[in-house]
Amino acid sequence: MAEKQLASTVAAAEHQKTWFAELRRDVFDNRKPYAIVQADMPLELFQAMDLPVVSNQWWAAIISAKRLSPVYLDCMNARGFHEGLCRYCSLGLASTLCADAAPPPWGGLPRPALIAARLTCDCIQHVFQIWSEAFGTEFVALDAPGASDLPARWWELSRHRWRELYEEHRMDFMVLQFGRLIERLECITSRKFELERLRTLMEGVNRQEEYFEEVRDLICTAPQTPVRMQEQVSNVMAAQWLRGSEWAISHARRFRDEVKERVEQGVAACPAERLRLMWVGAGLWHDMDFYTAFEAEYGAVFVWSMYLAFGPDGYIRYGLDDPLKALASRTVSFNEQLHNPPWANEWIVDQAKRHRIDAALVLTPLGTRPSATGNRFIELALENAGIPVLPIFADMVDARSWDAARMRRTVAQFLEGRTK
Amino acid sequence: MSVAGMTSNTVPWELLRAAGYFPLMLNPPPGTVPFADRFMEDGVFSARIRGIFNGIASGAWPFLKMVVIPRTSEQEHKLFLYLHEMARQGFANGLPGLYLYNLLHSRSDEAEVYGLGRTHEFRNYLERCAGASIATADIACAVEQSNRASRAIRRLLDLRQRTEPRLNGTEALALIGAMYFMDRAEYAQLAEEAAAEIALRPPGRGVRILIKGSPLHHTGLHRAIESHGAIVVAEDDWWGSRVSTKEISQQADIVRGIFGKYFREAPSPRELSHDWFLSSAAAVDGVIFYLPPEDDVLGWDYPRLRETLNERGTPSLLIREDAAGELSSECHRRIEDFIRKLDT
Repeated sequence: MAEKQLASTVAAAEHQKTWFAELRRDVFDNRKPYAIVQADMPLELFQAMDLPVVSNQWWAAIISAKRLSPVYLDCMNARGFHEGLCRYCSLGLASTLCADAAPPPWGGLPRPALIAARLTCDCIQHVFQIWSEAFGTEFVALDAPGASDLPARWWELSRHRWRELYEEHRMDFMVLQFGRLIERLECITSRKFELERLRTLMEGVNRQEEYFEEVRDLICTAPQTPVRMQEQVSNVMAAQWLRGSEWAISHARRFRDEVKERVEQGVAACPAERLRLMWVGAGLWHDMDFYTAFEAEYGAVFVWSMYLAFGPDGYIRYGLDDPLKALASRTVSFNEQLHNPPWANEWIVDQAKRHRIDAALVLTPLGTRPSATGNRFIELALENAGIPVLPIFADMVDARSWDAARMRRTVAQFLEGRTK
Repeated sequence: MSVAGMTSNTVPWELLRAAGYFPLMLNPPPGTVPFADRFMEDGVFSARIRGIFNGIASGAWPFLKMVVIPRTSEQEHKLFLYLHEMARQGFANGLPGLYLYNLLHSRSDEAEVYGLGRTHEFRNYLERCAGASIATADIACAVEQSNRASRAIRRLLDLRQRTEPRLNGTEALALIGAMYFMDRAEYAQLAEEAAAEIALRPPGRGVRILIKGSPLHHTGLHRAIESHGAIVVAEDDWWGSRVSTKEISQQADIVRGIFGKYFREAPSPRELSHDWFLSSAAAVDGVIFYLPPEDDVLGWDYPRLRETLNERGTPSLLIREDAAGELSSECHRRIEDFIRKLDT
């Protein structure tokens, strides 16, 4: 694993580990409830009710980083789940069903009071249904109507004009579903939902994302990137899972301050930076060293991934007179914005230009089909914008088919051939 | 008459028909799909969805005035977005009008209210396209055609599911599936005639098989199974036994009645219940699970369903090959062994 260059990265990692240990202690010793949720759920509602959440994707990334995915996924196949099924969103389930095959990280997930998912694919409700039965707990699903009004440059509308961007009927439906979810959260926590608290939290999320935007701008304008992509991810996601909380806002500020200081002092993540790379797709959680493997020989530095860049554009909502509707507007289109045309390709090309990207690597995760869509349009748009693209066919959590040495050679050849 | 393409079973045929369209299920034959190869990721979309994308994007179906895509599967949602993008970027010219019918299949009160609203909006959209309102009498006429077709299909299903079936699965799939491609008044008449003729046949012989798996828009699997002497008496599939045969009431709000049929009765990949399957499995000799390589949904439920069948003593077999083409000799051998064991 590459050195951590930022103190805030070390702090983020320590906070996550401590937070999880406290969560386990609270659940086991103090019988406090918590929830397991998909990453695109409205975590703010849980936060506003003081119900801790574990993101399914975060947990999958931890399992994968601990190199446990092969044993769990093999175990799932042995149990009759065929090898063509999605892996990213089911690795957490695997760690529950196959806990006998290998001890899960950090003692594993205790029984949640609730598990919840947005139905942005056809399989997640099946995965979560099985998981809820394994835990003997409740599963709450939020359904997801599709967008049909699709102005291409959505990020220019999402902060102030979100009411017209996200289609009234979709937001209203989401608010209705929030009502059902809130009822369940009130029942679990024995607390009353307070709209004012949500509004305050949403204002906090705006502040947090504004700090991230400053970091993004610093990366765009500094002569060389002050922070590696994987450290961006660590800092941003540690805060995003707790977004709007005091710790998250304070951590975002600390991260911004540290990056700003590095820029002011002329500190580059890789002083030999000659090529600025973009990583499109979820992180390769089982091989994070991949992202620094091309610095020494090629001066090729990954400067962009969606994790930092999406924060400001995807989360900030101004005009919080109706915080539930604002939250609904944030929730309804994650999938379209990150993975589907026209929103994903238009946004990524814009980001590539702003970040002075020299080449892009686009992950098509065949082991997680919903995340694979939109990639041909993204690749085409980047190439048309003059940015060479290397498609990567691999899975973000399944290391079984990942040949690290071969992939490094492939990227090296790409850098030699396409970026001169 | 203008042709309106439908991409699956959850598009309200009756509203399209009442608006003056000839609703046609899009189901391209296997073949090369250069547009899909260029714009759709490998291994993500089913062959059928790739074929539909290719047919529309390539301009091979100029007769289509409109395509209605329901949001009852993720692949169809993505199909809408991809076609929308093809038009926006000018990668395809002369595309028909695209409409995303936001019908949801989670069984919540909110999804029901939302779906009814979207169904009314769909009617409004059709009226805007036509520049005229759709008369309730025209909707009632379309509903009656649809109901008559449903009655004819129930007759066919009855002939098929008896202890001594009068028609095999290969025939049944073709007879039922024809409804999606024909004028329903004509279909109803022909299906009634077929049922009358089939009722006079001697009963078929063979072990009774139920298929559970990915949608079968072809008869390849049925032919393969029945070539070994079994009879497929049902399939948990909208192309066959799960075709929606519930008649739409004309007594109350007729649009609500139409919506109810597609919301509650029509199966989709987003449906969680296996009640129909488990109930039907009690009346057969064996179950064949069909999970071709493109499956990414039912595979999650397969281990539990197999276990339930095991507990009940119902034998099952899993097929993982794509039956749209020829199954391998090894697969045929496994089917033959399975059927032989059921027969002894």
